[in-house]
Amino acid sequence: MNIYLDYQAAKPVDERVVKEMLPYFSDNFANPSSLHKPGDIATDALKKSREKVAEFINAPNSSDIIFTSGATESNNLALIGTALKNKRKGNHIIISEIEHISIRNIAKYLEREGFEISRIPVDQYGVIKLEKLKQQIKDNTILISVSTASNEVGSLQPIKDISQIASENHILFHTDAVASESSIPIDVQKIPVDLLTLSSNDIYGPRGIGALYLKKGIKVNPIMIGGGQERGMRSGSEDMPSIVGFAKAAEIMKNQIISEASRLEKLRNNLIKGVLETIPKSYLNGHPIDRLPNNAHFRFDYIEGESLILGLKDKNIAAATGSACTSKTLEPSHTLIAMGFLHEEAHGSLLLSLGRYTREAETEKFLEILPDVVRRLRILSPLTPPSLLNYYKEVQNKI
Amino acid sequence: MKSTQYSEKVLDHFRNPRNVGTIENPDGYGKVGNPVCGDIMEMFINVDKNKEGKEFIKDIKFRTFGCGSAVATSSMTTEMAKGLTLDEAYKISRNDVADELEGLPPIKMHCSNLAADALKAAIDNYLHGSKPDVEVISSCLITDIEEIKGLEQFMGKGVYKEISDFNNLKNKRILILDRGDESLELALKLIEYTGRVVVVTSAKTTPGNATIKEKLRGSDVKILYQSELLEIQGTNDVEKVIVHDFDEGEKYELFVDAVIV
Repeated sequence: MNIYLDYQAAKPVDERVVKEMLPYFSDNFANPSSLHKPGDIATDALKKSREKVAEFINAPNSSDIIFTSGATESNNLALIGTALKNKRKGNHIIISEIEHISIRNIAKYLEREGFEISRIPVDQYGVIKLEKLKQQIKDNTILISVSTASNEVGSLQPIKDISQIASENHILFHTDAVASESSIPIDVQKIPVDLLTLSSNDIYGPRGIGALYLKKGIKVNPIMIGGGQERGMRSGSEDMPSIVGFAKAAEIMKNQIISEASRLEKLRNNLIKGVLETIPKSYLNGHPIDRLPNNAHFRFDYIEGESLILGLKDKNIAAATGSACTSKTLEPSHTLIAMGFLHEEAHGSLLLSLGRYTREAETEKFLEILPDVVRRLRILSPLTPPSLLNYYKEVQNKI
Repeated sequence: MKSTQYSEKVLDHFRNPRNVGTIENPDGYGKVGNPVCGDIMEMFINVDKNKEGKEFIKDIKFRTFGCGSAVATSSMTTEMAKGLTLDEAYKISRNDVADELEGLPPIKMHCSNLAADALKAAIDNYLHGSKPDVEVISSCLITDIEEIKGLEQFMGKGVYKEISDFNNLKNKRILILDRGDESLELALKLIEYTGRVVVVTSAKTTPGNATIKEKLRGSDVKILYQSELLEIQGTNDVEKVIVHDFDEGEKYELFVDAVIV
């Protein structure tokens, strides 16, 4: 059995979505800007798709949705676009220490271009410290960008409080909702954000498409200049199959997000319980309760994450780690370091993320396999204390 | 290239590591730790005399904390060393181990390929009673300078370990290896004398402590991130260097007048 527990990295496209997309490749291929009849079909599909995505986050106007090439572009448009638009007002931007790499690298880019960036620390659970956020606000602060949840340890961020702090101080608030969009309903009217990033693949739509919600009246400088599509905010002929697919994915997700999240939460809770019970010296990272329903993030003493992933790979299990050894730079996960982990603690981390097609048989099988993979690596490790080695010997003898 | 794109041989040694464990009261013991990546390897050896009366490695065991290549290189090193005379075993280099494993991903060459060093430490420990714990600093973030081609050849002819007179380097094109804060401070000093100072670092972001970082950002020092110096070339003096960008997997030439290691 192949076991896929890496939904955070990529999700399959829902079959219903694929079916919806197909006519727009060759039959309904026209450009929505064209004035002829085929063009009208495309215009209509674009309009309906925009409405569906708007409904997904309860946006008051469908024109608030700007289609982009994905979450990375949405984040670029949100941060760079806002920075450029508001540079006369100020040059200070606040992000958190545990943002997705796209936000962190955009912030670095803006820093090199003369903007000032503050990075708000998080507590041991990976939750942003609101007091620190308040302290960082200055007269020249133009934007706060904090994601709805950590894409890594799954901790939910106090978005409602942050949006309130931002609006009290007349600062724009952007949130990257990608990590949570498949498990926690978004309502931009209940939690008033100014800009919000969505990804299509993260709700089982195609990759290469996403959106930025831009509250009515908020202006950003476009970063993609051209024919003036998407209200001039994002030029380029619309990718109709992808847009239609994204909208279908949003429609499906809107209908089943609550039941899907609660199903995954049960599976996830069993997973956490099973891991912590069967593996000595294992710990759950991130907030114990306020976390994404489909996320489990562990740390195992004495072993290193890449070898753990390789060991699991041999058993046909797909999972992820924040270990330094798997990153291009050999630096451990910034999120874990920001949470106060020592380098060696960040090494032995395991990220499991569940999704629409995860079945109980998979998580059960995973729980059968994991302890042995961990045991094998611990026997290899010079860090494993003799007491634990003896424990493993005893367990082995019993079998 | 993904850091885990391993050869079948690496995977085999990872799956079925040879000579795992410890030796009680070993003749020699070596431990190598890499403070940046966190890899730790330990080697235990027992030594005996062969028919010619030469000392050889009769038994060898290892334990390793680290990624797949750390485990595989340890296992391979023990397999290569077992039965060799101490002289032969001492000559096993990191490259030999990597070659036997049919190669390692570039980024893992320096970082998770320390088993040969652990073996050397164990042999030294046996022969000279030297301390078994070796902290290998030539790790992920700092190029192992002994492996730079042409370093010896151009020593004093454009390659310098320290600078006595800064005026000699006026308007010269200078390449500095990031070997920690001192080397970065030197780069900041040199930029006052010449406008052309390049730092090669394996780090992804601006290296150094907070003060140095800030100074570097505000200076004209050019930084080559995620890179290592492979080779120094020239006719009599240093003329150019070959730099390897291991993020892009590219090698390219850079014309310089001096290299500071």
